[in-house]
Amino acid sequence: MSLWSEAADLIGAALLLLGCLQSLLGVIGMLRFPDVLSRSHAATKPQTLGMLLVLVGVALRLRDGIDLGTLALIAFFQFLTSPVASHLVARSAYRTGQTGSRGLLRDDLDPQLSDGDGDGERPGT
Amino acid sequence: MTVLHTVEEAMLVAAVVMILVAGALLLHRIWYGPSMLDRAVALDVAAALIIAGIGVKAAHDGDSFYFPVMLVLAFLGFTGSVGIARFIAVRDRPARRPDGKEDHR
Repeated sequence: MSLWSEAADLIGAALLLLGCLQSLLGVIGMLRFPDVLSRSHAATKPQTLGMLLVLVGVALRLRDGIDLGTLALIAFFQFLTSPVASHLVARSAYRTGQTGSRGLLRDDLDPQLSDGDGDGERPGT
Repeated sequence: MTVLHTVEEAMLVAAVVMILVAGALLLHRIWYGPSMLDRAVALDVAAALIIAGIGVKAAHDGDSFYFPVMLVLAFLGFTGSVGIARFIAVRDRPARRPDGKEDHR
């Protein structure tokens, strides 16, 4: 076993550890944040950064062509689909008025949701 | 060589323990989540945690047997929360507190 493969194994294990730590911190953020939108903000940390670190760590430890392709596909599909789910959840949270008890400082979505006359649909009504 | 191997083994075990602790905390959010949307977000994160756990197992064993499972989870894991957000969450408005304000928690 050469020096390079040992170094790749060690760096891969370190990246796996960092990715799992990132996932744990994101889940702790999900437990501590107060409303749906900020929980969704915390939830993107395991889904993107933690996932990417774990996949790069696995790729550094396996080092096979087909496995690298599969890992790249996993990262691609994860990064393609998780914004769709987050967007729909955040949209549904806005439409049902669960945007937090402190309210929004600036609400750019409201004039776009209304028809242009009157005050439009207020969140929470 | 053996010392390095032991260090890597310890790092992988610590990674698995972190994934398990994160999953247990996430079960708390799924169980007590005040609204259905919190549960939808938590289910997305659960899919991500399962992918990470399978990845740590693959890195530990050095085989790629479960990579198709990770692939399917990566591109079908979002359908549950999309369904919840589109069809269920509208019926699940937050409860009103006695002072008239909505309980968002």
